[in-house]
Amino acid sequence: MSFGEQFLHNPDLFPARHGGETWGEQELLLDLPGGPYRFAGLSTDQQRILRGRFGDFCLPDSGRRGAGTVAPPVTASGAAGAVISSLLLRIDAGAFRGFDLRGWEYRLDSDSSPDAVRLAGLHLVARLDWRPGLAGALWTSQGGGPLFAGIFENFFRVLVAYRLLELGGVVLHSAGVLKGGGALLFLGRSGAGKTTISRLCQEHGGEVLSDDLNALVPPPAGTPGKPAAGQASPASLAVEKLPFTGDLGDRRSRRGAAPLHGLFRLEKASDDALRPLSRAEAAACLLACSPFVNADPHRRAALLAAVPRLLGGTGAPPAFALRFSLRGAFWSILDTKCHPSTEAAC
Amino acid sequence: MLRPSSDIRFRVLDGEAVVVRQSAGEVLVLSEVAARILTLADGSAPVAAWVDTLLAEFEIDRAELECDVLAFAAELAAEGLLEPVTAGPARQGAERGV
Repeated sequence: MSFGEQFLHNPDLFPARHGGETWGEQELLLDLPGGPYRFAGLSTDQQRILRGRFGDFCLPDSGRRGAGTVAPPVTASGAAGAVISSLLLRIDAGAFRGFDLRGWEYRLDSDSSPDAVRLAGLHLVARLDWRPGLAGALWTSQGGGPLFAGIFENFFRVLVAYRLLELGGVVLHSAGVLKGGGALLFLGRSGAGKTTISRLCQEHGGEVLSDDLNALVPPPAGTPGKPAAGQASPASLAVEKLPFTGDLGDRRSRRGAAPLHGLFRLEKASDDALRPLSRAEAAACLLACSPFVNADPHRRAALLAAVPRLLGGTGAPPAFALRFSLRGAFWSILDTKCHPSTEAAC
Repeated sequence: MLRPSSDIRFRVLDGEAVVVRQSAGEVLVLSEVAARILTLADGSAPVAAWVDTLLAEFEIDRAELECDVLAFAAELAAEGLLEPVTAGPARQGAERGV
């Protein structure tokens, strides 16, 4: 099946540029890693839905054209601080195929080239283009209503993943948990136990950032490899909360970046144990858990370059394979092996 | 002569190799020995030259090393990680170690 056929009656009519009729005149500025992200062309209803959906992630002056107050960038790369703009556009509902969704696992259809990514999905088609800066366009048939937030999020997840890779970071399929002043990332794809371990962490007092997707961002260029205030180790990689959650994690509350205290590859088991991962094993885990970009043949080289950099710096995070059971005994193992005061182990 | 398959990209980290198989979207970790062979397979040096290189690095009997290298190369080729050079210059696609 060629690109778009699954969702569109006429994939050949896929938009070749960011143009068409917008939904309205409203804008929204969202403060996520790699951003801020500006969305223009929203209807009033769409803007209201997104404000409700993304809560604290909405910058206060969203809604006015030419909004000028933006959050500081997460990295100091050349492109840092740029506002990533996207346009919301109309497309007729008749462009999309209808089909039975029962028992079906939803996956966006994508097609990439060195300077563009095309996406097709339920009620959406979208483009990311580098011209040369990244910009997006989302065409949807939903001017509001219950489906719109999900459609928007499906596009936004991809946009953030590509943007972070540009900055040397990654969006990771992971459970992110705050513990002892730092963040732990539990990595695994669907079915690996991210929600289960998030729930167990929550029961032991950990704060869940997201049980689905979290951002791992590199330190700003020029950051010395010394402990920052409030950091117990020189870990300068940071975990940033994303409003993309599964069952757990408050998707509307913004959190500041937290220093990464450990990476854990999840392995469901009947017992609880940690095994250190080699750098290659840790890199393989990050690669496998970097959605969207790891499926893009034109970005794999960049991803394969970014991941070792993340794992190779002065503050390289410790990485483990974590066997965990439903008893939750892993938490006490983390206490002894991964407490900030035990730098040698973690 | 063999070279890394056009389907893979790899990096060597602390001796081990992280290999991305493009078509399947798979990520593999190869042992130090396999990683070393992957880096020696540059499409220009014959397998016999790999043995010479490795003999300088390891204290090992030549005959034993030849057997091991051939077995590893065959295994990597069977897994689709190495491919024979048929014509033209060596490809430039693979990511080398860091």
